[in-house]
Amino acid sequence: MRHGFDSLAGYATVLMFGSLLAVTPHVIAAEDTQSEQAYLQDLPVVLSASRLSQPISEAPNAMTVIDRDTIHASGYRNIADLFRLVPGMYVGYQDGFSPFVSYHGSTDNYARRMQVLIDGRSVYLPPFGQVDWADIPVHIDDIERIEVIRGPAAASHGANSTQGVINIITRDASAVKGGSFSVNKGEAGISDTVARIGDAGADLDYRLTLGERSDSGYASEILNDSSKTRLANLRTSYRLNASDTIDIQLGYSEGVRGIGTVGRVTEPFRDIRTRSDFEQVEWTRALRQSDEIKLRYYHITRAYADTAMPMIGTDVVLTQRDEIELQHTFAPWDDNRIVWGGGVRTDTLDNPLSFTSPAPTIKQSRVFAHDEWRMTDSAILNIGTMLEDDGIGHRNNSPRLSLNYHLTPLDTVRVGISRAYRTPVAFEEFSNTQYAVGGKQYTSMGGLQPERILSREIGYIGEFPTAGMTLDTRIYSDRLTDLIFLDPNANGTLGFKNLYSFSVRGFESSLRYRWGDGSDIVLNYAHQRMSCSASGSLTLPFLTPLLQAYIDQCPRMVPLDSGSIMLVEQVTDDVALTVSYFNQGTLQLLDALEAQKQMNRVDIRVARSFGKLDKYGGEIALVVQNAFQDNYTEFANTPQKRNLIFDRRTYLIATVHF
Amino acid sequence: MRPSISDEATNHLIKLLKRYISGYSRATFYGPGRCLTRRMLSVALVFLLSCISPLQADPMRITLAISEEGGAYRAFSESLIGKLQPDKYAVKIKRPEDALGGSDLYIAVGMKAASQLAAKDIPTLNVFVPKAGYERLQREYAPRNAPRSAIYLDQPMERQVALLSAALPGVKHVGVLYTAAPTELQSLHHLLGDRNMRLHERVVDKSHPINDALEEVLSESEVLFVLPNSDIYNASTIRNILLTSYRKQIPLVGISQAYVKAGALCAVYTTPEQVATQTLAMIERYAGSGRLPAAQYPGEFEVSVNTQVARSLDLRVKDAEKLRDELRRLP
Repeated sequence: MRHGFDSLAGYATVLMFGSLLAVTPHVIAAEDTQSEQAYLQDLPVVLSASRLSQPISEAPNAMTVIDRDTIHASGYRNIADLFRLVPGMYVGYQDGFSPFVSYHGSTDNYARRMQVLIDGRSVYLPPFGQVDWADIPVHIDDIERIEVIRGPAAASHGANSTQGVINIITRDASAVKGGSFSVNKGEAGISDTVARIGDAGADLDYRLTLGERSDSGYASEILNDSSKTRLANLRTSYRLNASDTIDIQLGYSEGVRGIGTVGRVTEPFRDIRTRSDFEQVEWTRALRQSDEIKLRYYHITRAYADTAMPMIGTDVVLTQRDEIELQHTFAPWDDNRIVWGGGVRTDTLDNPLSFTSPAPTIKQSRVFAHDEWRMTDSAILNIGTMLEDDGIGHRNNSPRLSLNYHLTPLDTVRVGISRAYRTPVAFEEFSNTQYAVGGKQYTSMGGLQPERILSREIGYIGEFPTAGMTLDTRIYSDRLTDLIFLDPNANGTLGFKNLYSFSVRGFESSLRYRWGDGSDIVLNYAHQRMSCSASGSLTLPFLTPLLQAYIDQCPRMVPLDSGSIMLVEQVTDDVALTVSYFNQGTLQLLDALEAQKQMNRVDIRVARSFGKLDKYGGEIALVVQNAFQDNYTEFANTPQKRNLIFDRRTYLIATVHF
Repeated sequence: MRPSISDEATNHLIKLLKRYISGYSRATFYGPGRCLTRRMLSVALVFLLSCISPLQADPMRITLAISEEGGAYRAFSESLIGKLQPDKYAVKIKRPEDALGGSDLYIAVGMKAASQLAAKDIPTLNVFVPKAGYERLQREYAPRNAPRSAIYLDQPMERQVALLSAALPGVKHVGVLYTAAPTELQSLHHLLGDRNMRLHERVVDKSHPINDALEEVLSESEVLFVLPNSDIYNASTIRNILLTSYRKQIPLVGISQAYVKAGALCAVYTTPEQVATQTLAMIERYAGSGRLPAAQYPGEFEVSVNTQVARSLDLRVKDAEKLRDELRRLP
């Protein structure tokens, strides 16, 4: 085998925990069914505030929901690919295993202006403000739903919820009853396996997933980007009594990834290793009605080791995050519901090559409050803010105000305005590299201001039950200022500075149409226009034309038009078909060498199920991605990647449930 | 018939009542406010009872046989005692296992007390008994001499189905779970059929555990309609049932306020106070005629709606008062 694994310690731990918890008591009260107990018994509060999701017509932001059925119907292997189904969203690949997801443009392959939460855990990590999608120890099949909040939402989702939030909610520990096993084989070296087991008992539920995923990446003649990831994920919830629940999640992943580009001396072919783990404990107390108190603590470790870096040797990055958050939801009056709380987060870095030792530790703290006020039967006012101390010298206030007005029970207009910030990431503020990347060393001068966004929107959500249609549409105007970009220093190194601003104005629309039994089509469309201007000046004035060149290129960060169509059709009782089409106009991220060609991609999935629904049954699915071999190009920040093509991929997934 | 009540008997009653009240206060935790009310109530009762003069007309002797302590049982007995005029009614409170006798009418609260009293064949009015449970008692201990009647705990099926269609108009597929087909199933079939709705049923047993039955019934239904069964729906299982149905965006229609608090969409139920009012009316009929009216469903009821759940499921459910008023207009 090409990739060996040194340590299976992570697996062993999880397996031990798993077996301890596998014994779940199955208590059934043996009461006479004719007794009065059925009527008079006390029941615990189950659907408390944080379990209840908001309908789109009452949410304070534009929101796209990707639910379990959609995820299943897509047949995708990577979480990031799902975001192509969100209007205005861009999914790029730095290489075969490093997707990045941005909303309304991105400077580079670290999409820093969105928060990504998994069950409240922020996986938007230092030092670059990246989301390491491939390393996250959560399997795509363990996701219950994804809420993509399109717009700033710091009042409800915390710091760095700048242009939007990806809020991933994984399946409850009680959702998996029984076991399943799935194998996926196909082109591009695709070889995945996943085993899952779970049970829901009277006081204790658990689910355990063990998975392995590997493929050979893009074109192996250009990039060495094969990857192999193993992951383990355990979720268990224990009910102490009728009102208190403890939810524990543990995750571990380790990966071996190819790195290197043909023809680049600085990037020879070699392997890097990654390791991620997280431990999360959440205590929830249900209070009267749907009020509740929630206390969450988590720890994340992410390690990256490149032991064969040319001329340097070893680059090790160790990132750790600890966060504790308390949140209280209550209804002081019938027509108001308040969520308030606070949290403290500590990010610790160890990265000798990028930072002067010791690397910075950043302590961020925040308080937030949000009120949902039902002013009348048809008007809902959402008002809230977050006050944060970002740990590097700024105090920010991120308010949000929105009014949802039901013109009729089926027609809703939403008007909203909000402000939010993006704290400079550690690399921007503190970098002091001991090596040269592409001939450049980085030395941050510090003193960066947070980036700011002011977002305004008017939306309309209409339901047309007789026609089987739902329409969710909006126009918006977002103004981002003090954006951080590269600034050459006098000593020849590179630093960062607040240099430019941009405005995005646009129109977004999602139309869902259901007909018959099991026919469903979703059409998404986004039209975006961006304008950019310089708002700062370079340290070296003679380089001003360089900045101007970037400003001129900046509006091309977003495609003028983009959209998707996803058709899900239950052809017969046991045959299901999914056809997805993606269109994305030409675009060029700020540090890309040239524009990406227009994308017209079609993905197809055909599945045949057998046996019973969730038990003693299974499914065989054939997935063809980019079925018609559309030669759109990927993000290219090196000349070698200029013609990087995503070739058609076919794979077969077989799943059994028992 | 009734012997005149002596001072001694009055004193005995007062002692009993005192013991009952203080016993209960110790048995369960009560907030200070409630404690004060309780004390005031007991003082008032004791005062009123001490005023009973042996010269007055004999009060009717009533024994309340209560199956369980606390909760709805206590709410009912407190409410009933509050409504019974002390000059007309002398009330004793007993546990079903206590020695019973010497009363004119017995009120059995709950099935345990109902079974004990049915075996004795004495004049009994049963409350907090499901219709099925009461009918079983009637079969097992057919009343020979003494009158017996009941106020059922269940709501008539017509009322429950009316709530279902008023809260969720347009719903066509209704799911139910049971361990053995209940007697109401036939009438539920008909009532749903009349409204163009279809019933989807699954049996829960050893070979067909609750999780499987639930998944199957939810895959066919738009609403899960609770039929009373504490083997299927109890404090241990309700979480799984509610979470599973919520994940599938399927509401649950419950049978008590506790269901609604837990996360059911709505329920129609009768409060202990409303049962007490109906009980009083039946006691008065008995006092006047010496006969108990026929066993009956509760006349008064409330509707409860979990608005947070309704909103989250994007269901536009009328508010609870409106639904209750609609149901009250039913013949």
